[in-house]
Amino acid sequence: MTRFQLIAIRLLLLALVLTAWQVLPRNGIINPLLLPPFSDVLSTLWEILGRPQVHEAILVTSAEVIVAFVIAVPLGAAIGVLIAEHDYAGQIFKPLLFYVFSVPKSIFLPMFILIMGIGFQQKVAYAAFSTLFIVIMSATAAVESVRTDHVLVARSFGATRWQILTRVYVPSMMPILLETLRISMIFNFTGVMIAEMYASRTGLGYLIANWGENFQLPQLFAGVILLAVVAIAFNEAVRVLEHRVSAWRT
Amino acid sequence: MKRPAPATVRWLILAGLLVFWELFPRTGIIPELFMPPLSKVLAVLAKDWREYASELAVTLYEVACAMLIACGAGILAGALVGGVALLRSLLLPVFSSLYAVPLVILYPIFTAWFGIGSESKIIFAGVYGFFPVMLSTAAGIRTIDAQLLLAARSMGATLPQQIARVIIPASIPTVLTGLRLGGALTIIGVVVSEMLISSAGIGYLVTRYRTILDSAHVFGAIVVILLLSILFDTFARAVERRTLVWQTAGRRQKAGEVVQIAGSPAPAPV
Amino acid sequence: MANVSPVLSIVRDEPASAAIEVAGLTHVYDGRDGKVPALTDIAMTVGAGRFVVIVGPSGCGKTSLLMMMAGLRHQTSGTIRIQGRPIDNPDPERVGVVFQEASLFPWLTALDNIEFPLALRHAPKAERAERANQMLNLVGLQGFGARYPHELSGGMKQRVSIARGLVQDPPVLLMDEPFAALDEQTRMTMGHELLRIWSQTAKTVVFVTHSLTEAVYLADEVLVMSARPGRIIGRIAINLPRPRTYEMMATDIFGCLRDRIWQQIRKEG
Repeated sequence: MTRFQLIAIRLLLLALVLTAWQVLPRNGIINPLLLPPFSDVLSTLWEILGRPQVHEAILVTSAEVIVAFVIAVPLGAAIGVLIAEHDYAGQIFKPLLFYVFSVPKSIFLPMFILIMGIGFQQKVAYAAFSTLFIVIMSATAAVESVRTDHVLVARSFGATRWQILTRVYVPSMMPILLETLRISMIFNFTGVMIAEMYASRTGLGYLIANWGENFQLPQLFAGVILLAVVAIAFNEAVRVLEHRVSAWRT
Repeated sequence: MKRPAPATVRWLILAGLLVFWELFPRTGIIPELFMPPLSKVLAVLAKDWREYASELAVTLYEVACAMLIACGAGILAGALVGGVALLRSLLLPVFSSLYAVPLVILYPIFTAWFGIGSESKIIFAGVYGFFPVMLSTAAGIRTIDAQLLLAARSMGATLPQQIARVIIPASIPTVLTGLRLGGALTIIGVVVSEMLISSAGIGYLVTRYRTILDSAHVFGAIVVILLLSILFDTFARAVERRTLVWQTAGRRQKAGEVVQIAGSPAPAPV
Repeated sequence: MANVSPVLSIVRDEPASAAIEVAGLTHVYDGRDGKVPALTDIAMTVGAGRFVVIVGPSGCGKTSLLMMMAGLRHQTSGTIRIQGRPIDNPDPERVGVVFQEASLFPWLTALDNIEFPLALRHAPKAERAERANQMLNLVGLQGFGARYPHELSGGMKQRVSIARGLVQDPPVLLMDEPFAALDEQTRMTMGHELLRIWSQTAKTVVFVTHSLTEAVYLADEVLVMSARPGRIIGRIAINLPRPRTYEMMATDIFGCLRDRIWQQIRKEG
């Protein structure tokens, strides 16, 4: 089966799902109050994209996502590299991190609220916190993925520390680094969403939680589609980059 | 001077954290509202253990149902996707794209459809745990050493025999990893959904006591959830370890941590 | 012809009863750039109880040929008869296979691995255990039956794999570079062991290898294959006396035979 045929079948499946979403509620086979027809959701999406309240929410959410990302990624990467490069620290902290990693971060959300209230800072702090651990673990994995024989070969040809860093470490780690960015963004986005849905006064997460509670299902579905499309688009963009960079790595 | 063993240092760090948890709020360095001292939290747990236990029972019931859904549907779908080449090339890329969507935004839809009782939690957490189980199962079936199947065929194994005696045992370690990740996610899913909108469960306790600013009770619930997830993780890892010998022997590619993060059974956001 | 040493003579007389007969076998597979001929016009006969070794450059199709003899792969045209009957599908009653990597099931003990083919046939438990223990003794692993593959050395794994290949007492044993992954010393020992097992069981063996030394040491007859598309370009009889000993490797005649095979391969390359 060729790539083209596969994509065609996928599009066909998507069309089928969307048609069902349109036709079944229209004919009353599914209650349109519970599942508004796809066309209604689309027109609602268009309508809410014009509201100032939604504009504000998009701005706030984007700002939270970006600030949390900018805090969590460098911090996590620094800690991760330290753990990977420092044997003793690694032996102490790696098992601890694995445990912390398996613990649900969301249960600490109330702590953040008790300390910081429910404003911008608290969203950023919680999202950065929930992202930090995956960044640490990925950064550690990235450093450890550098093959010692490559470093050895470089050293045997008299490479300096700087040359080893730029010519062996960076290119070896590049694919994992990009993947780390991609997965951190997923974690980060999820963190912001949960924090906004849990307790907030603005932001997209707050809006969809609110629409859900008020049974405004067309708005709710429109919001979910908007968020999903943005998340998928970002993810795919980084994946394309990843694919290019990792071509040499098998 | 010889450095102390890493395990010793780890226990010291843990002990230090517990001491700080007690001392910092006591001395007023951290306000008690932000973090009540450990002894107070434990006292609250001891006093109101009945309440915690009855809410925990609700949570456990929801987790059990959600795990049944996640594991059952996940293994079934994973076997199909892993075993049928067409489904695999058709659907796997779609699933890995969908992984980017924070599933938690679906929860309001589930509460609108199924109400704020246990049903919406079970379904949300089931969906949450489904993906890692399915992806691991598919990966487990896909990465079986082709030589093992060839050997079984040379001995005249029929297709059902190949499935029962080679494919299933060879994929068990990977599936178990999926069950651990998926199980952890169902616990998280239930707790998060209880925290968001509900009227029962341990997550509900967290939210209820937070709104009345009763920090000691909030932390009590957090401790219970922490213990629950650590217990599950320890148990699941112990089960996995029993089958680990097959994993290294029966698979061409070593499933290191890099692969764990880079590969399909992705870690859990939340 | 009088001067030619008998060990260097080309095989002309085939034994009366043939265990394996391959005639007019050709294989073509679909490659990226269209049809690729992999094997052309293979004809060979292996007499019952003989030990035949196939050598040839990498990618010449010797493994494919072996898989076809095992009924694991289908040729494009031509016939393969094992014990007088064509083989279309794996038939463990007629053919046992030993693979390059021991291919033991990591979740089964050595004994359970050996029993595996019998279990597929729902043989009674007692019979299974008895047969498997016999095989375990035959390959010199008594006392190791309860070990799992990861607890065995490379050589021991291949012994288990040989035992598994023999457990149903098939007249023909096909071996695909079984010792390729072993270190040189283990490899020599295993070759010696294989000859001992062969002499005790009187199987017909077809053995694929890259090692010319191994080929001369083990074989009654060596078949030399060309690079792709694989053809049989030489048949060399190894008339060294049996039982073979390590000392024979140092003899001129051993070296001569080895060189002769090498010349055949080189001429084609």
